[in-house]
Amino acid sequence: MRQPVFGHGRLRLYLLKLLDQGPRHGYEVISLLEDRFMGLYAPSPGTVYPRLQRLEAEGLVTHSQEGGRKVYRITEAGREELRRRQDELADLEAEIGSSVRNLATEIRDEVRGTVRDLKQELKQAAREIRREQRHENRHRERSRSWERQDAGAWVEGASQAAVEIDRRIQVFLGRTRQLVGRAYATDAQLREVVAILDEAFERIRATLRREA
Amino acid sequence: MPTWKIEEPETLEFDRVTRLRVRTIRGRLSVVGIDERPRVEVSEVRGGPLTVRHDEDGALEVGYDDWARPGFLSWVASRRRWRRQAVVSIAVPRDCPVDLQVISSSVVASGLRARVGVRVVSGDITLAGLAGPVDAETVSGSVEAHAIGAGLRMRTVSGDITLAEGFGGTVQAETVSGAIACDLSTTVTGDVRLGTVSGDITIRVPDPSDLQVRLQTTSGQVSTAFPDLRRSSQPGRQLAEGLLGAGTARLQAKATSGDVALLRRGREDRAGVSP
Repeated sequence: MRQPVFGHGRLRLYLLKLLDQGPRHGYEVISLLEDRFMGLYAPSPGTVYPRLQRLEAEGLVTHSQEGGRKVYRITEAGREELRRRQDELADLEAEIGSSVRNLATEIRDEVRGTVRDLKQELKQAAREIRREQRHENRHRERSRSWERQDAGAWVEGASQAAVEIDRRIQVFLGRTRQLVGRAYATDAQLREVVAILDEAFERIRATLRREA
Repeated sequence: MPTWKIEEPETLEFDRVTRLRVRTIRGRLSVVGIDERPRVEVSEVRGGPLTVRHDEDGALEVGYDDWARPGFLSWVASRRRWRRQAVVSIAVPRDCPVDLQVISSSVVASGLRARVGVRVVSGDITLAGLAGPVDAETVSGSVEAHAIGAGLRMRTVSGDITLAEGFGGTVQAETVSGAIACDLSTTVTGDVRLGTVSGDITIRVPDPSDLQVRLQTTSGQVSTAFPDLRRSSQPGRQLAEGLLGAGTARLQAKATSGDVALLRRGREDRAGVSP
């Protein structure tokens, strides 16, 4: 599961400040951030959207769909957070752009954060495929050894089917986990997914009973 | 030739800079490309004065007067010189070629459209928003790169190498014990060659991609999210190779004891963009 790192909290504060000036859609936020870094560094959608989602989960911003696009707005709780961190915000405003050193430091911190998130995400995904493929290899070896045995076809056939089903379930699990890891699910989506899983289980059970 | 001896924090501004060369020992070094007036900010300087030279052609040099090439290491190793420390931040025009060499210092280079060369003995290198070509080398630090255009070459001995949001130009990365993580966000058009001895290699490319792929490890494991690649395994070599799409660019990754994984960047990874 992707766990974005929010250690670089300065950008987060800046996001709130941008939204305090008025509602904006995601792309606008990104281009304003790029301006902030004097065009030297453009935070990617992959780093900005998770942060907006995180702010939303904390109740500091909300979003609405307008003309097919998400428009983000600051909430009263978000304004309160800004007021509470007014001093920090003043520092933030004064520093950047006033010296090359600060600008470079901020860029370095941003790249570091992005790289840290990316490494974690890729590591997780690589682990998933490695597990899947190890399982596949094992299955391949097992079925090869079955092919060598010609007696007891009925019993072997039955367990081979079971192994195949098991393999499919493993593959399904790996792929689904990968999807879930990338997505930010709402409560409604969660309920829907749970219902789909329950339904799938019931149907598998019914199918296997019928065969017996 | 105008020359400055910097002994305390100071900022110098210039009208025109066409070339930048920096040679420092310890501290921190940042170089960014801007549209405003070029400048050199020295915010800390210890152990001896830093020299800044600016000639009529616009060549800018920052370093120490007695920096000598032959016997370089013994020169640096002298205790007197090793005390030299400087925090230097430089802004140059975006199309100014940059050549940086430091001994023990973190280096940031960002927002440049011309050639960038960085060599560090011990220290991390951060590269952001460079059009390339870029050549970065550090012995014991890491290289972290974000949004680099084309012609990117990175080498370390023990540090990790990471490329985020690669634009799909040529990428070469080599390390001995570090790990390589490479995320290419747009269609890969240049050859990508990655190599490690003991570190793992993880690559993510868009799906679909037009790549001729060869992934190999001696004692690690090769895995791929692209079922079209042929995987083969024999003692002393695990391999996955084959063609994705038209196979116009090459992707090669080779590890000795590390694992190699090729991941797919599906549409869901860019999902945030559209809604």
